[in-house]
Amino acid sequence: MRPLLLLTVANIKSFTRDRAALFWTLAFPLIFVLLFGSIFTGGSSERSIGFADLDGTPASGQLKGAFAALWNLKIVDGTEDELLASMKKGDVVAVIIVPEGYSQTVAAKAGPANLTVYTDPSQSGADATTRQLVGFVLSAVNQAVAGVPPAVEPSFKPIQTNDLTFISYLVPSILGMSLMQVGIFASVPLVADRQKLILKRLQATPLRRWQLVGSNVLMRLLIAIVQTAIIVGVGSALYHVQVAGSWLLIGGLILLGSLAFIALGYVIASFAKTEDAANGMTSVVQFPLMFLSGTFFPIDAMPDALKTVARALPLTYLGDGLRQVMVDGTPFSPLWVCFAVLAVWLVACFGIAARFFKWQ
Amino acid sequence: MSIPTAAAAEPVIRVAGLHKAYGETRAVDGVSFEVQAGTIFGLLGPNGAGKTTTVEVLEGLREPDRGEVRVLGVDAVRDPDRLKPRIGVSLQTAALYPKLTVVEVLDLFRGFYHLGGRSTDELISLMDLGEKRTTRTQNLSGGQRQRLSVALALVNDPELVFLDEPTTGMDPAARRALWDVVLGLRSAGRTVLLTTHYLEEAEVLCDRVAIMDHGHILEEGTVEELVSRRFKERAVRFDTIDGLPEERLARMPGVASVKHEDGDTLLYTRDVAGTIGAVLDAAEGLGVEPANLGVRRATLEDVFLDLTGRALRD
Repeated sequence: MRPLLLLTVANIKSFTRDRAALFWTLAFPLIFVLLFGSIFTGGSSERSIGFADLDGTPASGQLKGAFAALWNLKIVDGTEDELLASMKKGDVVAVIIVPEGYSQTVAAKAGPANLTVYTDPSQSGADATTRQLVGFVLSAVNQAVAGVPPAVEPSFKPIQTNDLTFISYLVPSILGMSLMQVGIFASVPLVADRQKLILKRLQATPLRRWQLVGSNVLMRLLIAIVQTAIIVGVGSALYHVQVAGSWLLIGGLILLGSLAFIALGYVIASFAKTEDAANGMTSVVQFPLMFLSGTFFPIDAMPDALKTVARALPLTYLGDGLRQVMVDGTPFSPLWVCFAVLAVWLVACFGIAARFFKWQ
Repeated sequence: MSIPTAAAAEPVIRVAGLHKAYGETRAVDGVSFEVQAGTIFGLLGPNGAGKTTTVEVLEGLREPDRGEVRVLGVDAVRDPDRLKPRIGVSLQTAALYPKLTVVEVLDLFRGFYHLGGRSTDELISLMDLGEKRTTRTQNLSGGQRQRLSVALALVNDPELVFLDEPTTGMDPAARRALWDVVLGLRSAGRTVLLTTHYLEEAEVLCDRVAIMDHGHILEEGTVEELVSRRFKERAVRFDTIDGLPEERLARMPGVASVKHEDGDTLLYTRDVAGTIGAVLDAAEGLGVEPANLGVRRATLEDVFLDLTGRALRD
């Protein structure tokens, strides 16, 4: 056991002193979480609407107040020309013009006063929302002016639904992706050590091969644990992703998934002769896994041909399993299938590596 | 130099009929030799001669196609795990954990062996690495890395040490210091198998040498035996003179053979005075003066050139 532990410590020291490796394995997934987190949860859904009050009376001021009171709506004052210019720049999504004489027309009940509302129909979401908001405000104003109390009033109550927000979909997915990277990039230092004859030199000592492989696996599992802590920690601290579910299942999936991808890394190292080749081959393996395994969007949203591919990839099952056990995600496959497929990949990769890996 | 008689004890290394082919290439083609305890044995030969493969079989790192290999009384092919705790290995090009320091690498390797051996401090002072204790190995010079590599070969105080080109990249002072370490190993009763490009090194260190080429051992014995077996003559050398035909050189008094090497002409002769006279006459006839004219005894270098048809360092 002592050689195994000493070698593991040596591997960890080598790893932590290699800034590039440290960045790619620890900072990179963190950046992913922060980036997607700020895109999909950060920035409020606040909208700005331009409001040009050409009337300038208490009545038009009240109308403005009614808009300003709406949830998440910001009112920008200005002249008609100014506001239209800033709408073209995209600073406001719509411009409302209150004509001169608005209050007189309303007070006299001399037919409907006319508001001009500029919207951009090509921005379908903003356009529809603006129409709804304006309609909502004006019906309230119309009721008030008519002096009729509302017959029906809505009362809004929030409840938590089971639908995944995108960030809670993403956190387990990015965890799965990171575990994959830590695993398959085991190939690069392994090939480098072989190329530099370090493996050969170690073979000339009483160190056993299982100790050598074991120390590599131990170090990578340790990195996996640190990564899990960082990704899950940031996800729950900054984006309120709640990890519910059995830590035993989560730990089991992380262990099995990591081992399967480390074994895949050894397969790559079996066929790559140089460090550069190992780097290249690992990247070639990594990208389809990353994008075809439902990491960034659900597999159900993919075309059928790609779905077939996804069904064969191990990351599909690691990500799917992690989403199921961590955030109660909708299963793509039953959980036992996720475990089984990862186990098959582990055994198959182990077998191939045992057959083809060369120590010198 | 005292060499135990062959009958005294079982040799530390006994190789008989060793063969190893890679595809069509016969890297080692019927090699046999013995190394006695407490001696330094030199394996010499150009690149691709089969030295590395031979040594790797002895270290238990490679399986031969056939042949008997007993090292320290252990069958190195069937039982390498019993051999490894008792040997030390220094590989020529092994870069060792670039991000670890000298002390860390030594401590790590010491941890691979059971007990005893030499302390890290002892090894550091033996190999004169004191100033580099906490330097990462990636920042060592080539010579320092070689010294570390030799230190690593000694962590378990092995009975048999394999040194592969141990002085490559070292300055002359460091080379001499390493020679002292190797001679110290012999004084302590250890056995050393050395491969080297430097024939001078082999002459200084080795009790016996074997010259290998194309997978065969061409000649084996003490340096003196090898030299006197082939060269009863002295060598007269001078910068090659253009227009002086080979036949004329060969006909000079006492000349047994003629060699050309790197712009030098070498005449192996039994009659030094007669040969030099003839060279001067011939040069005068061509209106030139022979440059760098000199006489020396034949050395291992001459043996090597004669056997392999090329200088070792090419």
